[in-house]
Amino acid sequence: MNLPKIHSISKKILVGALGAFLSFFLLFHASANLLILRHDGGEWYNAFCHFMGTYLIVKVMEIGLIAALLLHVVLAIWLAVTNKMARPKGYHKPQRSKTHTGSKLQVWTGILIFACLIMHFTDFYFVKIGLVKGKYLAKTEDVVALKTTQPDAFNYAEQHGEYSAKENWLTNFDKEDKAVLEAAGLEVEPDFYHQAREKFKVLHIIIAYLVFFTVVWFHLRHGFAAVFQTFGLYNYKYGKAIEVLGQIYTWVVCLMFAVVVIGVYFGL
Amino acid sequence: MKFTLHIWRQENARAKGHFETYPLEGISPDCSFLEMLDILNEQLINDHIAHPVCFDNDCREGICGMCGLYINGRPHGNDDGITTCQLHMRKFHDGDDIWIEPWRAKPFPVIRDLVVDRSAFDKIIQAGGYISTTTGGVPDANTIPIPKHKADMAMDAASCIGCGACVAACKNASAMLFVGAKVSHLALLPQGQIEAADRVHKMVCKMDELGFGSCTNTYACEAECPKLIKRQNISRLNRQWIGALFGRDRK
Amino acid sequence: MKLDSKIPAGPLAEKWTNYKASQKLVNPANKRKLDIIVVGTGLAGASAAASLGAMGFNVDIFCIQDSPRRAHSIAAQGGINAAKNYQNDGDSVERLFRDTIKGGDYRAREANVYRLAEVSGAIIDQCVAQGVPFARDYGGLLDNRSFGGAQVSRTFYAKGQTGQQLLLGAYGALSREIARGTVKLHTRCEMMDLVVVDGRARGIIVRNLVTGDLERYAAHAVVLATGGYGNLYYLSTNAMNSNGSAAWVCHRKGAAFANPCYVQIHPTCIPVHGDYQSKLTLMSESLRNDGRIWVPKKKEDAESIRAGKLKPTEIPEENRDYYLERRYPAFGNLVPRDVASRAAKERCDAGYGVGTGFAVYLDFADAIQRLGKDVVEQKYGNLFQMYQKITDENPYETPMMIYPAIHYTMGGLWVDYELQTTISGLFAAGEANFSDHGANRLGASALMQGLADGYFVLPYTMQNYLADQIYVGKISATTPEFDAAEAAVKQRIENLMKNSALRQAQGPASLKTVDHFHKALGKIMWEYCGMARHTESLTKAKKLVSELENEFWKSVFIPGNANEFNPELEKAYRLEDYFELAQLVIDDAMHREESCGGHFRTEHQTQDGETLRDDERFMYVAAWEYQGHGQPETMEKEPLVYEHIQIAKRNYK
Repeated sequence: MNLPKIHSISKKILVGALGAFLSFFLLFHASANLLILRHDGGEWYNAFCHFMGTYLIVKVMEIGLIAALLLHVVLAIWLAVTNKMARPKGYHKPQRSKTHTGSKLQVWTGILIFACLIMHFTDFYFVKIGLVKGKYLAKTEDVVALKTTQPDAFNYAEQHGEYSAKENWLTNFDKEDKAVLEAAGLEVEPDFYHQAREKFKVLHIIIAYLVFFTVVWFHLRHGFAAVFQTFGLYNYKYGKAIEVLGQIYTWVVCLMFAVVVIGVYFGL
Repeated sequence: MKFTLHIWRQENARAKGHFETYPLEGISPDCSFLEMLDILNEQLINDHIAHPVCFDNDCREGICGMCGLYINGRPHGNDDGITTCQLHMRKFHDGDDIWIEPWRAKPFPVIRDLVVDRSAFDKIIQAGGYISTTTGGVPDANTIPIPKHKADMAMDAASCIGCGACVAACKNASAMLFVGAKVSHLALLPQGQIEAADRVHKMVCKMDELGFGSCTNTYACEAECPKLIKRQNISRLNRQWIGALFGRDRK
Repeated sequence: MKLDSKIPAGPLAEKWTNYKASQKLVNPANKRKLDIIVVGTGLAGASAAASLGAMGFNVDIFCIQDSPRRAHSIAAQGGINAAKNYQNDGDSVERLFRDTIKGGDYRAREANVYRLAEVSGAIIDQCVAQGVPFARDYGGLLDNRSFGGAQVSRTFYAKGQTGQQLLLGAYGALSREIARGTVKLHTRCEMMDLVVVDGRARGIIVRNLVTGDLERYAAHAVVLATGGYGNLYYLSTNAMNSNGSAAWVCHRKGAAFANPCYVQIHPTCIPVHGDYQSKLTLMSESLRNDGRIWVPKKKEDAESIRAGKLKPTEIPEENRDYYLERRYPAFGNLVPRDVASRAAKERCDAGYGVGTGFAVYLDFADAIQRLGKDVVEQKYGNLFQMYQKITDENPYETPMMIYPAIHYTMGGLWVDYELQTTISGLFAAGEANFSDHGANRLGASALMQGLADGYFVLPYTMQNYLADQIYVGKISATTPEFDAAEAAVKQRIENLMKNSALRQAQGPASLKTVDHFHKALGKIMWEYCGMARHTESLTKAKKLVSELENEFWKSVFIPGNANEFNPELEKAYRLEDYFELAQLVIDDAMHREESCGGHFRTEHQTQDGETLRDDERFMYVAAWEYQGHGQPETMEKEPLVYEHIQIAKRNYK
């Protein structure tokens, strides 16, 4: 099979552009996650998730995001393979030049991130697309609408669910509840607030996530400045500033993720 | 001083090659690395042990770019901003083991022992690393004023000696610093602007075609460049490339 | 042999214009049918090949290194002269011409030197158009600095890497022609012989240095741009692979060799420090712009310094002898190279040397105080760094130690005004010819000459030669002359290898490497035919060289075989040529019973130790003709006629 011809620099620019897009998403994701720390029964966070789950434009972006992720991975691996081929016979003595270690790790942190993403998707995203079971919620107004037509179902829901702070949502249903409620014709959605709060109470899970964030930290830390370099924006004047900005960005994103996980564990 | 040398020996391009160990004594710390190899060769010849170790070298003052050995894991050895011929034995400890390998990269095949064929660099330059001028018929030199800082940056980029340490150091055997330096040198000057887009396109295509890897921003090249050429030149190359891709001034 | 310098008629300033106006040309369609071989890819070779290729000739270019960019022109540091008068300090073509003639101690050909000065400005234009990043001032215009032997600032420079930048400019132009297909590049190929057919140079035999194969190339004309023979002295500022063999094989085939004894000794090199040393490193002459040269005034101070008891910085100002400023107040530290070198030798021989006794100080303390460390670093940073890497001493804190070393050879193949040797169709350019520098070359003039020859002289004069060559058709490389030349080269290599094979069978006793002999030859030449020469030392040198050559044939050992990559073999055949060349250098030095420029006969000096010329007897170019191995060469004189310039005593006081 003949691979389409993309020049090495173009390939890198694509990987970089996709990476930049993904890291913007991370900032967005991490900021939204902070809502989990609100003790509002998932009021805000679930509202956010609802928004993300319903609007067409967001859904298109979601597909775009996944496509970006896959393309990022494919191109990066393609580059890594051609790069390996550029030195068929390696050195006996390991490299001792002063280098940016992040870059050497980039492919491996990338692969690790991909593995961690599978864990992360199993925990959350796959619930949404119905591949795995998790926590669920329903709109209070939908549940209230059942009160007259199907009082049994309404009572069931009130008994098994919890109201969010402003009572917009009836939350924290498990998978059996979901079956019952759906049989009654109720539309249920994943309840990521409780899902998260349940998962992050378990020590080994949060350790796994903290490892995940560390790997992301490595990947981002190199990636951020590298994107500027690859786009040709790294120069004598702003070089230092870009590096500092990259550090700040990386720390902010990773700390936001970590704060939520640790916060939940310690009952914040 | 006393050393144990482990040197890559390979009779010709097709031969398999292996490491050979040679003990060496009585070396002055003021001796340069290549002079140390001269002494070894003199001994090898006198003792009929083996064919002397072949290594490329010429000016022995760090400017021709001919020498280049991968010494204990670093191109041009354990010092910054120098070529192999400028490395002196005082940089080593008495009794050190020294591993000497040739540059390793697909476009740099070994010719014999530590000698590699770097004509790939010439081919990249031939692809467009020049300003097209014919002799005569050019304007007076001072009709092209160039801001000093730009001329200085161009000079810094132009100081590349084409030794190939950047490729040897890069984990991807990428020639981006070499290409970036030449593209930068010419792109920074008004004379070079005219062909800039074409130049970067042709040089990068040639670089890819010859089998060099691509840059993953490790900057080992920058760390090992004997002329301390900066990574900013790679950035400028990328910028020029984007300009060439989207610009209208290229066919 | 009849020497005809073919100097065009007319007043000096119009000779070149007249020549160009009346020379023969080759029409564009015919240029494609003419083949030219260029040997060497330095400034002269690369610029000639690029220019000739661009004009439409078919060019084959050869170099011994892995890339044309390695040629030793790359190591020139300081700069290139040009009579641009950008500094408004009174420079002109006439002034550059006069300085060069005077710098060469009135032993150069007027017409050639004038032409050189005339085209010098165009070289700068050409290089700038090629993108050579010359130093500029804040207004964006070109900057200049001054060099030895001149009272104006006419030297253009690119940091301390001017040669590199100029060579890369020419290499760029060459690369363009290679890409266009007009020039074919042959790297790692060494010219082993010149093929002469019916009295004309028609091709060369080369040895492929990777495979050891002998290859033939035929052409209508051959350009030799293979540099000088400074490595005859083993320790020199030349690159390890620089050699005189290509020129020498042409000499054997009948090309006259001119002024071989004119060897330039550069005053500012890092001193010798050990037996294992393979080369000497030059510290640019530009350092003498701001550096001051001195030795202790008192002998006991010098002794204490040599013994390591005293540091140079501890010697008070009044106990320092700034001998150049003392002896030559007008030019001070910027006297020409030969003068500065001899002055250093004089002080060291008198016992005032520092370091090993063969070194003087080059001090930047004044400059650092006056200009600030930053300015000094900006100007000379890379040279200081280079010095520090080699000597492990910081020149910002302690003065540099320097000593003269062999640097350049003014002598070379005799050429006429057209740069054609005594063999028709064989041209020589750059350092390979006997050049325009007379008995001493001024700093920053080698780059000028190399590029002048390549860009602006050969493209014209070669056409004049080639104009009638369109009728001879393609030159065949299968003629008996080529067969004979190749067979001779093969024989020569076999001779060297055969002996070694025998010796190996006899066992290791009393075998010596090629380098062993080369070092010994260099020592003899430096000792007895170096900075100062006299009848006795030269007689001794001649004897010692003969003995050494005999010893070489008896006990040299070359490992490996001829059909492989074999650097030892390369060194061996180059050294074989050096033995003959050394004899010629000594003969020439012996016959020239005067002192001029780089040639200093101690019998002929003024009371204060300056050169004493004998214009009556020696105002000529000595062109030597080869008579066979071991035979004394015959000498032909080309009288030097000075019509334009007033001959004077060379005075820098």
